[in-house]
Amino acid sequence: MVTKVTRSSVEPNDIPAIQTSNLTKLFGSLVAVDGINLEIKKGELFAFLGPNGAGKTTTISMLSCLLKPTSGTATIMGYDINKEPYKIKQIIGVSPQETTLSEHLNSMENLALVGYLHSIEPNKLKAWSKLMLETMGLTDRAKDQVRKLSGGMKRRLSIAMALIHNPQIIFLDEPTLGLDPQARRAVWDYISRLKGDKTILLTTHYMEEADILADRIGIIDEGRIAALGTSLELKADTIETHTMVVYAWNLTQKVIMELRNRYEKIEISNGTMTLSDKKLDFKDIIDRLHAAGTVVRSAYIKEPTLEDAFLKITGKELRT
Amino acid sequence: MRFWQLFTRSLKETYRDPLALGFLLAFPLMFMLLFGAAFGGDTAPSFTIGIIDNDQTEVSQGFVTDVLGEEIETIETTNFDDTDTALEELKLGNISAYIVLPDGFGGQVLQIRQGEEGNIALNITFDESDLFVSEQVISIINAATREFARIEIPITINANPINIETDISQIDFIAPGIIIFGLLIMIPTSGRIMLRDKENRFLNRMLTTPTKPWEFIAGYSLSMVVLAIAQILIFILLGWLFGMDIVGSILLAFLIFLLTAICSIGIGMVVASLSKSENQGESLSWLFSMPLAILSGVWFSSEFMPSYMRTFADLFPFSHAVEASRAVITRGVGMEAISGDFFFLVGWAAGIFIIGTILFSRTMRS
Repeated sequence: MVTKVTRSSVEPNDIPAIQTSNLTKLFGSLVAVDGINLEIKKGELFAFLGPNGAGKTTTISMLSCLLKPTSGTATIMGYDINKEPYKIKQIIGVSPQETTLSEHLNSMENLALVGYLHSIEPNKLKAWSKLMLETMGLTDRAKDQVRKLSGGMKRRLSIAMALIHNPQIIFLDEPTLGLDPQARRAVWDYISRLKGDKTILLTTHYMEEADILADRIGIIDEGRIAALGTSLELKADTIETHTMVVYAWNLTQKVIMELRNRYEKIEISNGTMTLSDKKLDFKDIIDRLHAAGTVVRSAYIKEPTLEDAFLKITGKELRT
Repeated sequence: MRFWQLFTRSLKETYRDPLALGFLLAFPLMFMLLFGAAFGGDTAPSFTIGIIDNDQTEVSQGFVTDVLGEEIETIETTNFDDTDTALEELKLGNISAYIVLPDGFGGQVLQIRQGEEGNIALNITFDESDLFVSEQVISIINAATREFARIEIPITINANPINIETDISQIDFIAPGIIIFGLLIMIPTSGRIMLRDKENRFLNRMLTTPTKPWEFIAGYSLSMVVLAIAQILIFILLGWLFGMDIVGSILLAFLIFLLTAICSIGIGMVVASLSKSENQGESLSWLFSMPLAILSGVWFSSEFMPSYMRTFADLFPFSHAVEASRAVITRGVGMEAISGDFFFLVGWAAGIFIIGTILFSRTMRS
């Protein structure tokens, strides 16, 4: 699938796919997006992680030329959102947060409508629609009016509509919101397959989604980017205390005291010992337990989760 | 051809939604059927008119007996000696109006028949509260007098000539107004799909495609134009079934109705562009279109309204459409006689769509 986009100049390879510069949006006195500066590389899958009302959708709306920024600007593949909205609209695909479809059209017709509005040739469009419906598991319902489809099917069709014209840049606003775990997994699989080929900006308030899919994550809170990096970087940078969990038999008071002198915090519960400190020496702990005659059944360093990082960065729990 | 895709999509959204389609077609049809049933039958009401002949010439007597007494079937005449007695009868409801033929009436008629300048003045007094009857009586008498005097220019009682030949039925006079009313109420209905798309944010999705504002407006409007054509054809057919007789060109009448519909759809697009939800848009449209219907003279002639109201109504296309369509349907006039109104409609249609497109493009990215 190749989308033809006429460009006025030769496109340099090194321009970022998306670049924002002090992108700001005010609604009255409410600051929805507060001077976001961001650079997303071509082929990157970038996730905005944040609670409801953090400014994720407003940012996507500005980038997809639906909202005018109050100040600042952004470029999409070098095109300015304030000056060249129609050029941008030719190369983007947007799946909005709400599952918005033309209810009295069938799945095929919904796909065709978006395809034609992007000037895709009828023959190509027919083949792509068929392929897309197959990928999204909607082939059997291709001729049904979409008002008769289930919520999950509508969501998958909505995503398909963002992709039907083979856009270079894809905005997925909460793509798996309201889907059951199985359907969510199927959408993740599909999005994973697009990685590298397309530049994707995804918003989510599901930690797991950002963790599994994203090359980089921007934690957005109250309109600002609070932290930016890969999942590992965010966890490593923000989590200072490490935790080790040991399942063991014959834990003696002596060895517990010995470890307590070395490490900051030790908790014992039903044969499980949890040790926490800024620095943990896995081998040292195991050796000391063995020397004390303790039978270690299992032991592991507990990885910090993105949720821990989010909590640390924003001071808030993320509702899921 | 993005607008064509949007057009076919809007059309499908309309005809696949039986409730909406039913409402769009049935609502105006209900009016047509009611009015048709009420005024289209053989039982045309007859009006009793009082006559005070101050001229007492052969001409004036001939006018009273031959024209008012015999030619016009819906009128019965009663002679009075003075206006006081006639006024008393009018107040009692025994007569619908009384006419005073002034001294010199016959002389003026003869003068005009000989090709000289003349001024025929008839003094008609009628019950103002009975607007419909009054309008009918005045129109009929006006037409009959002009026929009698063999003039084309209006006489002083009516600046708005409606030349009701000799056998005009009520439906001929009423139908154009009701058809225009049916088309005027396309204002609230024509923005429906756009507003629904706004409300459920499907429009937002389409706004992320490279579709231009005019393509959206054209797409949404064309589906309504198709519906309007269907409505007009049904209206004309129903009118014909109820006895409406189109004296002039049916094509010209159709074109006037179509232009009217396009103006309504254009106003609908403006309202829809400015509104945020279906409810808001519909409320605003009804608030606007019902007074406009009354002012434009779709139910009764705007001749009885104060001039400032008429001037206001004339800024909009509907009073022009009523005038032009009545002239074509009842008087059989051609394009040359209604070109002013016709081109006013053309200009208005073009103007309102330009405004609609500008407003749409301004509100599409807030």
